[in-house]
Amino acid sequence: MTEGRIVKPLAVFIVVLVAILGGTFLLAVVNPGSSGPPDGQSIDGQSPSQYQPDAVNAPVDPEEGQISVDAEARGQRILVDTSHGNQVSESELEPIIEAVFEAGHTVEYGTAGTASFADSLGQYDGVLIVQPLGSYSEEERDALQEYTDDGGRVVVLAEPTQTRLSTGFTQSTTTVSFGANNATERYGVRMGSEQLYNVDDAANDNNFKAIYASPSGDGELTDGVETITFDTAGYAVVNGDAETKFTAADGTRTLETRRTGTYATVVRNDNMVFVTDSTFIRSSEIYDADNEVFIGNLLSFLLDGEAPDPGGAASTDPGFGAGGDTSTPAGTPAESTPSPTPTPAPTPSGS
Amino acid sequence: MTASYVIAVTLALVIAAIFAPVIWNGVPSGGDDDPSVAVITLRGGTTDANVNAVKQDLREARTNESIEAVVLRVDSPGGPVDSSEEFYLAVNRTASEMPVVAYVEGTAASGGYYGIVPADEIVVKPSSNVGSIGVIVQAPLSLIEQVEQQGETFVRSGPDKAQISKDGLREDIEVLQRSFVGTVMRHRGEQLTLSREEVANGNTYLGAQATQNGFADRIGDTELAIERAAALSDDIEGDGYDVVYQGSGGAEFNVIIVPAGAETVQGANNVTYLVHPDDSETTFREPVKYYAVWGIPADDNNATVIRND
Repeated sequence: MTEGRIVKPLAVFIVVLVAILGGTFLLAVVNPGSSGPPDGQSIDGQSPSQYQPDAVNAPVDPEEGQISVDAEARGQRILVDTSHGNQVSESELEPIIEAVFEAGHTVEYGTAGTASFADSLGQYDGVLIVQPLGSYSEEERDALQEYTDDGGRVVVLAEPTQTRLSTGFTQSTTTVSFGANNATERYGVRMGSEQLYNVDDAANDNNFKAIYASPSGDGELTDGVETITFDTAGYAVVNGDAETKFTAADGTRTLETRRTGTYATVVRNDNMVFVTDSTFIRSSEIYDADNEVFIGNLLSFLLDGEAPDPGGAASTDPGFGAGGDTSTPAGTPAESTPSPTPTPAPTPSGS
Repeated sequence: MTASYVIAVTLALVIAAIFAPVIWNGVPSGGDDDPSVAVITLRGGTTDANVNAVKQDLREARTNESIEAVVLRVDSPGGPVDSSEEFYLAVNRTASEMPVVAYVEGTAASGGYYGIVPADEIVVKPSSNVGSIGVIVQAPLSLIEQVEQQGETFVRSGPDKAQISKDGLREDIEVLQRSFVGTVMRHRGEQLTLSREEVANGNTYLGAQATQNGFADRIGDTELAIERAAALSDDIEGDGYDVVYQGSGGAEFNVIIVPAGAETVQGANNVTYLVHPDDSETTFREPVKYYAVWGIPADDNNATVIRND
């Protein structure tokens, strides 16, 4: 009897509970339109076409080839200017020095001993001037012009005005500008005021600032070169005799004022060549596009020069040191100078 | 005897009253009488947290039968590229199922615009700011130079391990930029009067300009956006619809990105200090992070400084 007293109400309890909950469930299921779209359906466009590798992967210029230096003479000497706050270090020039060495020539980094830039020019066949921040004195400008008039060759690599981050204990930014416009103006060329950019993917090397340039004429500088790329290029302003050898790709604009135009990036005036970028000689850029061929051409151009005063031993000049060289610790004195004409002439060149 | 039946039935009713709603909700809920437009809000950067919250809301909108259209109310200057892409994909999926109208409350720039680009319509105010299509990478140049010049302060398994180079960064940025610009062109190419190159310039445009150049479609407010969303839906007739407001991401504007897990201390001049109480453990910092963000990296006065104490 006691069993029945518990079992019956319990049975009623269970029946009522099941009836209510089951009814609720049935109602919820039967309720029209209650089944939402299954979450597992396949949705078009979730692997969008614009995300596919073909659409996004940017072709990278093959970094191959080699710098071949082709000069008729042997044992030529090239001077790298270090006395005008030049923004270049010896390690950056190593690939170039290597190529020149392989061809049997030498590169000297800074003028030897206490010789001044102006006085020692004459003994070199070519002079490489990389992004000088300092300007050239009257005497130096005269010397440079006389030097090129007499058969010496000069290559100037310039940079557009830009902001540079200097690191150290505190980070600071400075604006640096090409400082030798007063010297290059004599050759009818000076550095333009702005950087260039090009947002067309076909006209840049994976960044809007890394523009392409192509030859605009024939000659030894453009031999075998189709495209060169400059990391932070500016443009050259040309007047007079200077001849444009390379121009920036179509659609290139100036960064500040967004002007389009045909921008000269490599300019030659007889024995002087002016390039509006100095970063393409760095190891990260040197083999991009046809840069290595262009660099080979530039070096050949330098080595084809003829030292006006090959015997001039500047070391006897008790001048004013290396002209205020402040650029790099590894600068002067240069490594030993295996001069092809070892006879030391006692008188410095009169230039 | 009767009393025990009364108790049993009462108990059953009480328990049923507790569990019936659970069962009711457990079954996919059915349509209301009126279809509704969901207003989903994202205020703040397109950060992981914000985007995930919006993704949840969008998913809810998709699965809820009564929601027939979505208004995406956005005020976002963008954020990391990865979460901005997530944002885009979630909106894209929703837009493939129902009308989505974006309303730009303040800013929908860079990653913020990335997310609303699949919307059927974009509504702006004169002061709304859209555009800034592009990618930046946060990597201190000094770090790059350091690694390039003297990366050998640790032992590595291969030449590319633990290295970053400017060339590599540029290639990566180019890839992310192409997919970003490609997305904008795919969804808004027909409306845009700008060329792909002009879009890739990364300019921002205010409302009126944006409606002219195709970055946006019309000038209006939230109500207009809701109206447009309802009008675009086949399942909504006239004004017979409800409006449901869902979520609102926390405002997280002046975001300073700090490695996960680092303890931070807010200092003067907006400097965030990372405190490393335990010096013995080697920490690695994510060398680079790609952002689709409207803004420029914080300068020295706003920098993240690592502090040991």
